[in-house]
Amino acid sequence: MLSTDRYSRQSFLGKDSEELIARCTVGVVGLGGGGSHIVQQLAHIGFQRYVLYDADFVENSNLNRLVGARDIDVLAETSKLHIAKMMIYGLQPKAFVNGFATRWQENPEPLRECHIVFGCVDGYKERHELEITCRRYLMHYIDIGMDVHGKEKPVIGGQIVLSSPGGLCMKCMGFLTEEKLAEEAALYGNAGPRPQVVWPNGVLASTAVGLAVDIVTDWTGTRRPYAYLVYDGNKATVKESATLWNINISACLHFPDSEVGDPVLIEL
Amino acid sequence: MKTEIKLIGNLYNQVLQDLARPHPFAAERVGFVFGRMGTLTDRGIVILLNRYHSIPDNQYIEDSTVGARIDSEAITWAMQAVYHGRPTREGLFHVHVHGHKGETGMSAVDSREISKIILGLQSVGRAAVHGIIIFSLDHGSSWVWLPACKEPRRIDCISVIGSPVWVFEREGN
Repeated sequence: MLSTDRYSRQSFLGKDSEELIARCTVGVVGLGGGGSHIVQQLAHIGFQRYVLYDADFVENSNLNRLVGARDIDVLAETSKLHIAKMMIYGLQPKAFVNGFATRWQENPEPLRECHIVFGCVDGYKERHELEITCRRYLMHYIDIGMDVHGKEKPVIGGQIVLSSPGGLCMKCMGFLTEEKLAEEAALYGNAGPRPQVVWPNGVLASTAVGLAVDIVTDWTGTRRPYAYLVYDGNKATVKESATLWNINISACLHFPDSEVGDPVLIEL
Repeated sequence: MKTEIKLIGNLYNQVLQDLARPHPFAAERVGFVFGRMGTLTDRGIVILLNRYHSIPDNQYIEDSTVGARIDSEAITWAMQAVYHGRPTREGLFHVHVHGHKGETGMSAVDSREISKIILGLQSVGRAAVHGIIIFSLDHGSSWVWLPACKEPRRIDCISVIGSPVWVFEREGN
């Protein structure tokens, strides 16, 4: 046991929960609006081992939502990675943080040591790449994302997706489609800045962290093999995606169990 | 250099459930798990286990001096499986359970017998990693023979990626 009363208010998570949480290595890819919330909550809960990625610096347009960032960080050109590290060390001084101010694809090996990876990235292609890595190196993947559609009557939407090895993937669940990937590829370099606000990111991050804590401790006994939750920011609701209602497959069609480890070139 | 093993929760449960079944005469059961390698930082290695092979009852030999002894048919099957897994460098891991809680280690019989099996597996699958995994009731330990290595390396950590997420770390790490 690591401490006495620090985690007394979350003792319902189970008698071993503190140790399970402390031993779990979490990865957070993207430390902006969503990732900064996630890092903060993970540190509060007691996670001690982190692998973090973000190549960006704090900009003025981030201050409406980047948890932990201050006005001075814009002038100082503080990295988002630094903001996340300060958040973690402020709450968990003995935490082990392996952080990289780069894109994760440039240094993917550290990510492979994780047990759970949070994807807080912008595009579908990057989500897809993260999921592939998580399947190959056996990690739970939790994806969050938000968007605002329409100008006359803006609609805030978002998703939280859990893709675990052995369970349905983001394509099986109907979140990731070839059409979305193709549409994004066609817009390459021309997507422009997307609207982002703090409260939807908070809802999405909190729900994602809730899923992670349940996975790590099994405190609900649910043992869900996958999840796809849809956020409606106008109605302030989070519901299971309708794409899961008529799903009639029990095994993933896209990631065979045997496809793990470093890819090997097979000579024909 | 970190060396670790990962497997998903369903596979972990499958292994434990199969090995917990009583055998008509053997005191314990053994099995084989397939695994492939992945690279980590600083030349570290993660071994990703992906499926289990249960050894049929009739491939055990009666021998009261050991918990379980398997016959030549079981060993031949293992060597053939490794041979067929050569294109993907798939290795094989002998697995059994010690019926106590906490970190476990190799018994004298484990140490003596496993190196003979590994030599056989390496002879047909040189580019793969092979080894032995011993689960206790709430922990696990493993020793692996990396490609072209004659001596085993103790695994630092076995992670079960399910719910809960179990992380069995080598004591003193």
